[in-house]
Amino acid sequence: MYKLFTLALLLPFLGYNQGFQVNFQGQQQQGMGGAGTALPQDAAILFFNPGAACFHHSNEINVAVTPVISKGTFLEDNTNEVAHTTSPVGTPFSAYGLFQLKEESKLKLGMAIYTPFGSTVEWEEGWTGRFALTRLKLLSIFFQPTVSYRLTKKLGIGAGFVYSYGNVNLQKDLPLQDASGEYGHAELSGSGHGFGYNVGLYFEPTRHLNFAITYRSQVNMNLKKGEADFTVPESLNDKFPDGRFTSSIPLPSVFTFALGVKASEKLAIALDANYVNWKAYDTLAFDYENNTSSLLDTKSARLYEGSIAVRLGAQYKITPQWTARLGLAFAMTPVQKGYVTPETPDNNRLNYTCGVGYSISEKLMLDASFLFTQVKREDTNLETGLSGKFKTLVFAPGLAITYKL
Amino acid sequence: MKYTYTSITIVLFTALVSCKPKIEAPEASMGDVDGSRYIAIGTNNTSGFANDGLSFYSQDNSYAAIIANQFNEVSTIEFKQPFVSAGSIGFNIDGKSPLKLGYKTDCKGVTSISPVRIAGAGDLTQLINQYAGYGPFNNFGVTGMSALSVNLAGYGNPANGAGNFNPYFARFTSNEATASVLSDAVARNPTFFTIMLGDDDILAYAKSGGTSGPIPDANGAAGVGFSGSLEEVITSLTANGAKGAISNIPDVKEYPYFTTIPYNGLTVDAANAVTLNQIFNPIGISFVVGVNAFVMEDPAAPFGVRQMVEGELVLLSTPLDSVKCNGTGSVFPFRDEFVLDLDEVAEINSKISEYNSVITNLSQTYGLAYADTKSLIHRLKTGTVYNGVSMSSAFVTGGAYSLDGLQLNPNGQALLANTFIEAINFSFNAAIPYANPIKYAGNIFP
Repeated sequence: MYKLFTLALLLPFLGYNQGFQVNFQGQQQQGMGGAGTALPQDAAILFFNPGAACFHHSNEINVAVTPVISKGTFLEDNTNEVAHTTSPVGTPFSAYGLFQLKEESKLKLGMAIYTPFGSTVEWEEGWTGRFALTRLKLLSIFFQPTVSYRLTKKLGIGAGFVYSYGNVNLQKDLPLQDASGEYGHAELSGSGHGFGYNVGLYFEPTRHLNFAITYRSQVNMNLKKGEADFTVPESLNDKFPDGRFTSSIPLPSVFTFALGVKASEKLAIALDANYVNWKAYDTLAFDYENNTSSLLDTKSARLYEGSIAVRLGAQYKITPQWTARLGLAFAMTPVQKGYVTPETPDNNRLNYTCGVGYSISEKLMLDASFLFTQVKREDTNLETGLSGKFKTLVFAPGLAITYKL
Repeated sequence: MKYTYTSITIVLFTALVSCKPKIEAPEASMGDVDGSRYIAIGTNNTSGFANDGLSFYSQDNSYAAIIANQFNEVSTIEFKQPFVSAGSIGFNIDGKSPLKLGYKTDCKGVTSISPVRIAGAGDLTQLINQYAGYGPFNNFGVTGMSALSVNLAGYGNPANGAGNFNPYFARFTSNEATASVLSDAVARNPTFFTIMLGDDDILAYAKSGGTSGPIPDANGAAGVGFSGSLEEVITSLTANGAKGAISNIPDVKEYPYFTTIPYNGLTVDAANAVTLNQIFNPIGISFVVGVNAFVMEDPAAPFGVRQMVEGELVLLSTPLDSVKCNGTGSVFPFRDEFVLDLDEVAEINSKISEYNSVITNLSQTYGLAYADTKSLIHRLKTGTVYNGVSMSSAFVTGGAYSLDGLQLNPNGQALLANTFIEAINFSFNAAIPYANPIKYAGNIFP
């Protein structure tokens, strides 16, 4: 077990939810379908709603990881050839620290580190879509120092500044064969950073009912010094010079409206509605420093659409120590017909989640969650002509440790 | 207890990691087709001729062989070809070896990637007849075969002389003196056949710049016209109830051989413009610095030469070094064999159209599947994409044609095979999976 986890942690994470968004930022919330923006109950609220953090009264550190096992299959329409993904287990993680200067203070300070976008998708060697994609790794880490302030007993606001670091590595084969039958290969890699913010409002009109509105801004990851590395038959080396490229990937904004219902001391219900402005992902462009007749700048239309997700979850305190959670989320795909690519064979989906919490002591708590979803998509990509059926199964068991100082 | 939990967790985790989602593929089916004794009759692409030569490698990737492979995906069949031996470099009947991509230095000292011969000479030992050792065969593709010659007895007999004899057929005829391609094919008692005939009658004329004999008439009796000859082939093959598919004739002018060198590909610098104008101004031809139309011979023109006009085609057989350095196409006008003038282009167009009417009619009369190769070739002219691979009729780089610019490479042959399979599936209630073109080779770069 130890070895598996060590291995998993070393591997880049893979994201699965709507495009390349990853909704694994809190185990309690994950257990409830990803809802909880209006239900401050652990330090993960720093991500979900900075405006509600001031209603969570403890100094707390919360660290979590969610190994994501994603298995994809592709059936090519014309030939009936089947290919499978060989994607590594992803490891989105989060770490939160929430602090108050004094007991019951109106002001809370926090630091959140999390991975809201990213994926590693890798297809088996020699698969039929190899000239469209063999592997895409996209990683982003957000660092978010946060301030949360309770204006009144019922109203809180909060804001976090986001610094994000990201890197991308895209690989595909090139249909240029040498005498030994080997195909060429292209690898584009680079890193970049971007800035954004996360603001939230939390309103608790009664003891039983909470509202929240949050907005996480778009972050543009600008790859300024990407490296393009081409392996081609020797005679074509001058047509495919290795060199720099620039690109930019928008990580879209998310607007959330949420409801929290504390039906009783034991039962709480959370409902979140997200609007993800995927319209920002209009084009994936690569601008090469050294252009040749064979190596031109590329602009691939993605034309993502804004998408909505609705998340519903409940938790029940079975005993003072044990809490059970259940959730369901419906997420619309941002990927239009004709634009499905092997890196995100996305579609509308239902996420089924469950979770459990266990208090070891007053200070130490464990939360675990499990997500399952299945995505099916059939499409003919307009740019590459890749035509067939994708099916992806995602299993994501996660674990968090919370320590109250 | 703890150990058990750990084991269970590991087992579960391993199960999750190793599971693979299943997608049910539609069931493959031969429909009304009995592919057990499939034979192919045709010319260059059918035989697997490519890179201006015949080799084991090119034969193995003929569209006929690929169709047989796809039949094999559904039910096992045998498809025998008169192979050149696998170790041989291959040959053509001019004694040359096939082409490969290599480095070539032109008259100006510029080295670039270019088709070059694999060896100084082709392996003519491969002309020896294969029938006794390996026959009978299923692939009756014969390079350079006229549709009018398919039922010519003794077509494999050198004694019959040029026009009535084809050395490529001599390689696998069952009987040099008496057999025709058709009689050998019928002797196989085929259950299914594909036909691609008439294309080389058009191509022979086109690639000679219109200097070879006239294209045979579309209508006429067997051995005289295309219609009678083709009908004889079809009636013979369907006599025992075999089903079949027939290809129409593509616009051969869309092959790279005819599209690579533009009619106005003559680039002239200031000094050359002066020289050329001194020579040609007296006969009413003038040149500008930059792009100009080539000059060609034309007996009908005043002084027997004129500039080419739009719509006329320069062939890839043109000696390019002479064009670059010795004034061919300008000071020394192109000879007739290197160009297709407007009359010749019109003749090709009208014959293709007449031949295709014949093919359409006969395919309907005899219930044949109709493979629209003409559309495929046209799609390659404009460029097409398959699973992220762009393919076009661009010479060498287009990825679908072999290095002779006339025949397809394995990639293109797979597209052609799919054109047949599409027609077969459509007409005979079949669901034969398509070949994957990108699993077949393109042009090999050094």
